[in-house]
Amino acid sequence: MNDNSRGFFGERPLPEFVVDPQVLRRRTRRDALLFGAGTVAALASARLLLPNAIRIDDEVAESLYSPRRTVPTYAKTQITPLKNNYNGATPDPGYIPGWHLTLDGLASGVSVALDIRSLLTHFSIHEQITRLVCVEGWSAIAWWAGVRFDDLLRAYSPMSQARWVQVESSVNLDASGNPDPYYVSLDLASARHPQTLLATHFNGQPLTVEHGAPLRLLVPVKLGLKNVKAITKLTYVAQEPRDYWAERGYSHYDGI
Amino acid sequence: MGCSTTPRKEGISTSRLPEKPDVLVAKRHHLLVRWSHWLNVPILLGLILSGISIYWASPIYQHKSDPLTGNFDVAADIGIWICGHVPGLRHYSSPPDWVYNHLSLGPGMLAPALRLHWLCAYAFMLNGAVYVVGLISGGGWRGLLPRRTDLLDAFRMLRYYLGIPFAKLTRRQWPHPSFNTKYNALQRAAYFSVPLAGCLSVATGWAIHKPMQFHSLAAIFGGLDSARVWHFWLMWIFVLFAVPHVILVFADGWDTFRGIITGWSARVTRSEATGNER
Repeated sequence: MNDNSRGFFGERPLPEFVVDPQVLRRRTRRDALLFGAGTVAALASARLLLPNAIRIDDEVAESLYSPRRTVPTYAKTQITPLKNNYNGATPDPGYIPGWHLTLDGLASGVSVALDIRSLLTHFSIHEQITRLVCVEGWSAIAWWAGVRFDDLLRAYSPMSQARWVQVESSVNLDASGNPDPYYVSLDLASARHPQTLLATHFNGQPLTVEHGAPLRLLVPVKLGLKNVKAITKLTYVAQEPRDYWAERGYSHYDGI
Repeated sequence: MGCSTTPRKEGISTSRLPEKPDVLVAKRHHLLVRWSHWLNVPILLGLILSGISIYWASPIYQHKSDPLTGNFDVAADIGIWICGHVPGLRHYSSPPDWVYNHLSLGPGMLAPALRLHWLCAYAFMLNGAVYVVGLISGGGWRGLLPRRTDLLDAFRMLRYYLGIPFAKLTRRQWPHPSFNTKYNALQRAAYFSVPLAGCLSVATGWAIHKPMQFHSLAAIFGGLDSARVWHFWLMWIFVLFAVPHVILVFADGWDTFRGIITGWSARVTRSEATGNER
């Protein structure tokens, strides 16, 4: 039996000593009270820390981000179905013919309106098959094509102090079909990621209304809820702008 | 309570120090090990309750949605079954939510659940580090390492546990197998694998939480979707550990429970005592 007590990994005999029973009793009472108080204090501080938990995790996510680290890409055989995940009702496609993208907060100081034709003709189109991950836990591998956000940023530079872009869709509806504009905050570092697209095509076809025709954001380093469908406006700002889901208790940065 | 056998004899005048037999105690658990043990109670509770609320948002066990109810979640099926078969629950207002109402923060609580889960997850990692420091500075890690004799000894322990009801019924002597180690083989298996499950839970948790930045970590577990399956079943290891853990500490008695509070055990066996002298 002695093989247990030899060598570096061998179990050592427990240190033993003699105590007054009174000392043992007092120590038991003291330690039980201390651990009880410690656990209650931990629970109380958790209540205080809870609102900051998201901020802490946002900081962690931001420090994990690297513009050089790309997300995995997949083969066409690995594509999975992607459901229409509009938060509310799917908009009526009537907005599509008159659609244009407004750019605000540019270095030039004037706002710019682009239609889909000028986007498609002035920028090169990039294809990618990447995973879109929902905050709920499900994900889908889909085949996208579109303009690199970085190319748009180079062609229409934001004002120098801009660190964020607010991405908006004015055509978004709530569950009962009433207008419910959707807006998210996106840090410009993530917007400049080489795999961040302003997508125009899905599965080799122009986007359908279910997937955000004619232009949606595809930012695979973020949760799906940042991937705004039917974008109507991009506003470059210095301070972190409003975010639809952050206002509803979710995190702000959403880096995955 | 072996420590309170001495009656107080205040009246004896011959000595101001009455003969109180002192107790021999063994140092069993380092202070940091005890702290991390107790902090794990609220942390794991928070992780499991919020984890099941997160599970609700996209259950990993689904089936084709029921044409009548639209239900596709196996956990909802379990709730429906429970409400249909357990007396007193027949008129439960929302059977598909029964599981979530009783084992989580509730359905539709994704945002607060994520917040609580992250807070508890960071606390769990810190607490794990405290535990490791305690194991190293107290030397307790040696008591957790598997031995060559463990398989046989585990069978002896299993036979002992399984024989208890029979021995009780027939009023037969049924002595606990004796070991000259800190833990018996079954305890060692449990106390060795639960920290391992903790490490795997943290690794799969990061793989799920940051599947792009940590995509190679997710790939180790077979990708994002199977990392979620791993993470789910790792939770059950904690549950399946905690239930007998709590039952057995009550069965084993006060000394074992006091041990994780004070760190001291007064149940020093002769073999341990002689082992100390060698």
